[in-house]
Amino acid sequence: MEPGILRGGFSTANAIRRLPFPIFILLLSILPTIPALGGVRHFTFLYEANTSAQGSLELENWVTWRRATGPARFDQVDFRHELEYGVTDTFQASIYLADWFYEHDRERSGSAYSDSAIELIYNLTNPVVDPVGLSIYGELRVGNRLIELESKLIAQKNFGPLILAYNATLESVWEGNDLAEREGEFSQAVGVSYEISPRISVGLELLHEFVFPEWQDEEKIRNLFVGPNVSYRRGNWFVTMTALAQATDTEDEPDFQLRTIFGIGL
Amino acid sequence: MSQISSCAQFLELVSEMKRLAIFGIGLICLVDFSSCGTTSFAPPPVTPELARMGKSQRGDIAILREGRALFVHRCIECHTLPAFWRYSVEDWPDIVNSMSHRANLKPAEREAIVAYILAVRAQQ
Repeated sequence: MEPGILRGGFSTANAIRRLPFPIFILLLSILPTIPALGGVRHFTFLYEANTSAQGSLELENWVTWRRATGPARFDQVDFRHELEYGVTDTFQASIYLADWFYEHDRERSGSAYSDSAIELIYNLTNPVVDPVGLSIYGELRVGNRLIELESKLIAQKNFGPLILAYNATLESVWEGNDLAEREGEFSQAVGVSYEISPRISVGLELLHEFVFPEWQDEEKIRNLFVGPNVSYRRGNWFVTMTALAQATDTEDEPDFQLRTIFGIGL
Repeated sequence: MSQISSCAQFLELVSEMKRLAIFGIGLICLVDFSSCGTTSFAPPPVTPELARMGKSQRGDIAILREGRALFVHRCIECHTLPAFWRYSVEDWPDIVNSMSHRANLKPAEREAIVAYILAVRAQQ
């Protein structure tokens, strides 16, 4: 589950507190400027199979704007500040220092801390020399009355300047008082990226979600998002942006999402 | 009755997921297999012949193997691998050098990558 996302049936009103300096944190996240990049992202809603070089450290800042129109109209901006470290050439560990969000709808507006997390990725095969590059991913997220486990299989293949990626993700969420509310989600994502020049890539991402409130499939919640991406890298930093539109008609989900990841080597 | 209904729902869901997974994996395999008969994008493996070529340039077989392993792992962290012919023998060392800090390469690792690239370049 993405940070701070509005989930059908789970109220976030009680969790909302106004943060004193949200803009200060945003500015702070963009300031550091020192060398050694962990890895450039060609996608924002998919992970790639290759992991960071041993010893490299990178700061990634995510900003995701979600907008829903219609009866469940809302605007939400999610922020993530992540430190990524290459333990070995095939094993990478990350810490999400803070996931927080700002939301605005008819009844309320404000910002709140959502959660923090650790993420581990182990690379099994290489996307260039092996038939398919594979990695496995595990994540533990803990927040205010929230625990989430996420596992992922990442597949990738590089064909010269073309990158194809596929992610299969399974999530389990426990939240609310006594962590009594449960939700499961299975999602698949496919992405293609073409490197126009060593600095610029363009591509397409497709995200397909199956949501199971209380691990039941009675509501048959299926969400499909699709849209283009662009990535630019220079020196020890990169920025990648994806715009996704909802191809299904789920009211609680955003009609439009714009995600930007800005990464810088430390 | 409700158990039968839940079971049917589960089977329907599995079938739906399976179709999507087959589509995704099939897409990767399709492009993968179609590329086998035409162009191989993987950098050439280190053979005795390439090692001989490497000796006349800068490295022995162990260094060339290390160079290839680093080339296919470290360089793709930022960009896809360029064709060897894209840059001249004179340009390659400077290009690798300019990116070595970003890729966290030690001097010996940088030299190994350059040795491998130049050996392949000489073979072409």
